[in-house]
Amino acid sequence: MLLLLGAFLVSCNQSETKEETTSAAIDKFSVPVEYYKLDNGLKVILSQDKTSPTVIVAAYYNIGFRIEPKDRTGFAHLFEHMMFQGSKNLGKMEFIKLVQSNGGVLNGSTRFDFTNYFEIVPSNKLETMLWAEADRMRGLDITQENLTNQQGVVKNEVKVNVLNQPYGGFPWLDMPQYANTNWYNAHNFYGDLEDLDAANLEDVASFFKTYYAPNNAAISVVGDFEPGEAKAWIEKYFGNIPSAEIPPLPDISEPRQEEAKDFIKDDALANKPAIAVAYHMPPRNSPEYYAMGLLDQILIQGDNALLQKKLVDELGYTSDVQGGINYLGNMFNYNGPMQIMFNFTYDNDTTKEEVMVAVDEVIAEVSEGITQEMIDNAIVKGRSALYDVIGGTFGLGRADLLCSFALFDDDPSRINSIEDEFDKVTPEIMNRTVSEYLRKTNRTTLTVNPLLANNENVN
Amino acid sequence: MKTKIYTVVFAVLVSVLGYAQEKEMPPKGGEPAGFTLPEKKVINYENGLQLVLVPYGSIPKASVSITVKTGNIHEKENEVWLTDLLGELMKEGSTGNYDVKNKLAGMGGNLNIGVGVHTVSLSTRVLAEFTPEALNTLADVLMNPKWPATELDRLKGNMKRDVTVSLSRPGAQAQKEFFAEIYPDHPYGKVFPTVEQVESYTVDQIKGYYDANFGAQRTTVYVVGKFDATKVKEVVDARLSQWRKGPEQFYPVAQPHTEATVRVIDRPGAPQSTIYFGLPAADPSSEDYISLDIMNSLLGGSFGSRITSNIREDKGYTYSPYSNLQTNYKNGLWYEVADVTTEHTGASLDEIKKEIKRLQNEAPSKEELEGIQNYESGLYVLQNSTPGGIIGQLTFLDIHELDESFLVNKVKAMNAVTPEEVQEMAKKYIKPENMTLVVVGDKEKIKDQVQETIKKPVDKEQ
Repeated sequence: MLLLLGAFLVSCNQSETKEETTSAAIDKFSVPVEYYKLDNGLKVILSQDKTSPTVIVAAYYNIGFRIEPKDRTGFAHLFEHMMFQGSKNLGKMEFIKLVQSNGGVLNGSTRFDFTNYFEIVPSNKLETMLWAEADRMRGLDITQENLTNQQGVVKNEVKVNVLNQPYGGFPWLDMPQYANTNWYNAHNFYGDLEDLDAANLEDVASFFKTYYAPNNAAISVVGDFEPGEAKAWIEKYFGNIPSAEIPPLPDISEPRQEEAKDFIKDDALANKPAIAVAYHMPPRNSPEYYAMGLLDQILIQGDNALLQKKLVDELGYTSDVQGGINYLGNMFNYNGPMQIMFNFTYDNDTTKEEVMVAVDEVIAEVSEGITQEMIDNAIVKGRSALYDVIGGTFGLGRADLLCSFALFDDDPSRINSIEDEFDKVTPEIMNRTVSEYLRKTNRTTLTVNPLLANNENVN
Repeated sequence: MKTKIYTVVFAVLVSVLGYAQEKEMPPKGGEPAGFTLPEKKVINYENGLQLVLVPYGSIPKASVSITVKTGNIHEKENEVWLTDLLGELMKEGSTGNYDVKNKLAGMGGNLNIGVGVHTVSLSTRVLAEFTPEALNTLADVLMNPKWPATELDRLKGNMKRDVTVSLSRPGAQAQKEFFAEIYPDHPYGKVFPTVEQVESYTVDQIKGYYDANFGAQRTTVYVVGKFDATKVKEVVDARLSQWRKGPEQFYPVAQPHTEATVRVIDRPGAPQSTIYFGLPAADPSSEDYISLDIMNSLLGGSFGSRITSNIREDKGYTYSPYSNLQTNYKNGLWYEVADVTTEHTGASLDEIKKEIKRLQNEAPSKEELEGIQNYESGLYVLQNSTPGGIIGQLTFLDIHELDESFLVNKVKAMNAVTPEEVQEMAKKYIKPENMTLVVVGDKEKIKDQVQETIKKPVDKEQ
């Protein structure tokens, strides 16, 4: 039986015509969401989509790098690697080989507020993947040799992404360390190499025991599957994994920033300056938060965003302004203090002062007042981007929102009210968001000082 | 004494228990659902233009792409990235009196102009209801570009900045040198322009390149997703079907070469060495291609592959190594790329060579090969299950002049490859003694290691 993939609500005048070809009509997309919990507390979200004969299993644990142990920076991420190193029934490399030899792809990642693992497989292999995810949720079997190996791999990851690259870690890894004041938000999430070396098997066991319990996790199945079968398998393989006592979250709040902050980072490998500008975000899910989502569209996203027009088209300071809310995801999949940020590279003969004058002009432009027309345009762009998240990467984007909303809000159906929340934003909410959150004293700037500026070494 | 006995009994019990608790086997899963390529409608126009419509998926968006078979491959000696600059200037809009960027943003899209070696594509991804209008806008930009001379200096400035920044990255440095070695006389070997080249480009040069290389005969319009097919076709009927024919499809064939050259490029103090190691191999027009592709996946092209298992999961020398079977027009390349810890540079190269030799000397087990074949069959489904993927697969056929049967029969062909054929491919193509090696790293620390491994003096230095 084929379920309808959500309802297309045609928001045109219904009495006029029922023909589907009313091309000016705007289709709103609704995601099917079935949400329940197992007795051990595991959150389960099912969402069918029969576009292709594939299915994704996503397991999300409510442990991000923000709250990793204080003397073990980088441990949440190192631990993510350990989840591929062996469980009761799957030895080293066997998990990976199991997924690949069943025609699937897999990965995992560590973010601010969760760690995730996923497999995308042909739809007939759903049971195999549920078994495998359950096997490693039940317990790990890690040797010192495997830990040492992955310490080597992770140190190489840090080298290839940060230490041996110009602009390494700029600004995604750097900015939280400068903009925030609370250790949980402001430490090095990739980890100091010394801390990575210090990790031992006891740390691995204790971290697993503390955070990797079913009552601290959500799993989502998105794609081509039959709900009855999926539910039976989930109960069979996850149902008897014991729950655990989860420690309360520490205080991760940030105080209101009262003074502008400005930092310079020397970069021995870079030959051009770069700048990142960040503002603390309004609290998640507040009206101002959604307003900031629209300001992201107005200021940063897409060809016609104001910062692109000013810095790229008009002044030619740079070829592209990158940015957004949450560089390690999107504005929906985090749960704590966050910044909206943008960054770009510019020439050595452009001064930082010139750059900041231009930025301030753009902020002044939105401070003069946001019109309903600007909001409407931003909503179109936002909706288009949201659909790409919900429909993208073989269900990963959808599974990601469903698991995030289940873990953070106990309400994955929020995926279907995001559009309404944006629609509720008024010019008045926008204006007060600009004045409170885009104020200079809420801002942190970080400039890369290129030590190779006089040695461009081209060709 | 008694305790000893107990100990023995306990030990036996444990081993019995251990035996009894043998590992659980994964459930096999059900029967495969079967996969057929998404249905498409192809319309050929008199001027040579092709329209491909693929209604697909459930998300109310559509991908629109106008792909022209020209690109960096058509640049002359001193025109490296002239096509890229053309793309940037084209983004400034059409002669029509409207702002293209604002217009597409109002449909939820952007104006993307992607310049590749073999193709230039104007594309956007918009909310479903705007699809015909978006195509109309892209067609206007393609057929009536404004070419504003006033913007050229700014765009050249961007390009110079971006090239300079790119070449401060070890990966880009290694890539540039590797391709220059393999393709000394072809645009494939010129990955980055010099700042002086960029400086020299003029609007007239761009217009000349456009006249020589753009036209309907080289152009395919892809629309994939949710859209009104009738209205999309009306747009093509009215606009692009009237465009000039332009030149026929033509790609100059390159002569790749490899002389076991070893180049070490100094990056003082680098904690890692960036390795490019490879040589020319078969391309999609060769009957060896599918077998070689499977061999690549088993040797280094997948996470579970031999080289990755060895230098990452066993030795911990690196984070993201991979091998690639690159498909150029009528010639291919195989190469391994890895960023390895400086002190393990020689050891990493040694292990890569060992894995190649092992595959040459012994066919893989049936089980190992089947695992790879299943993986590649799964990837095939994924590659053909997104709008971008569908366009990519069809463009691949088009560039390499392959019949659709290549794609339709691919899974069958991949599964027919035998262990002996995999071994044969490694013997026939992947010859370490002929490979070109480029290493970007701390020369003082790695020179001896590289020499020791390659058994040949470093013959070129920078």
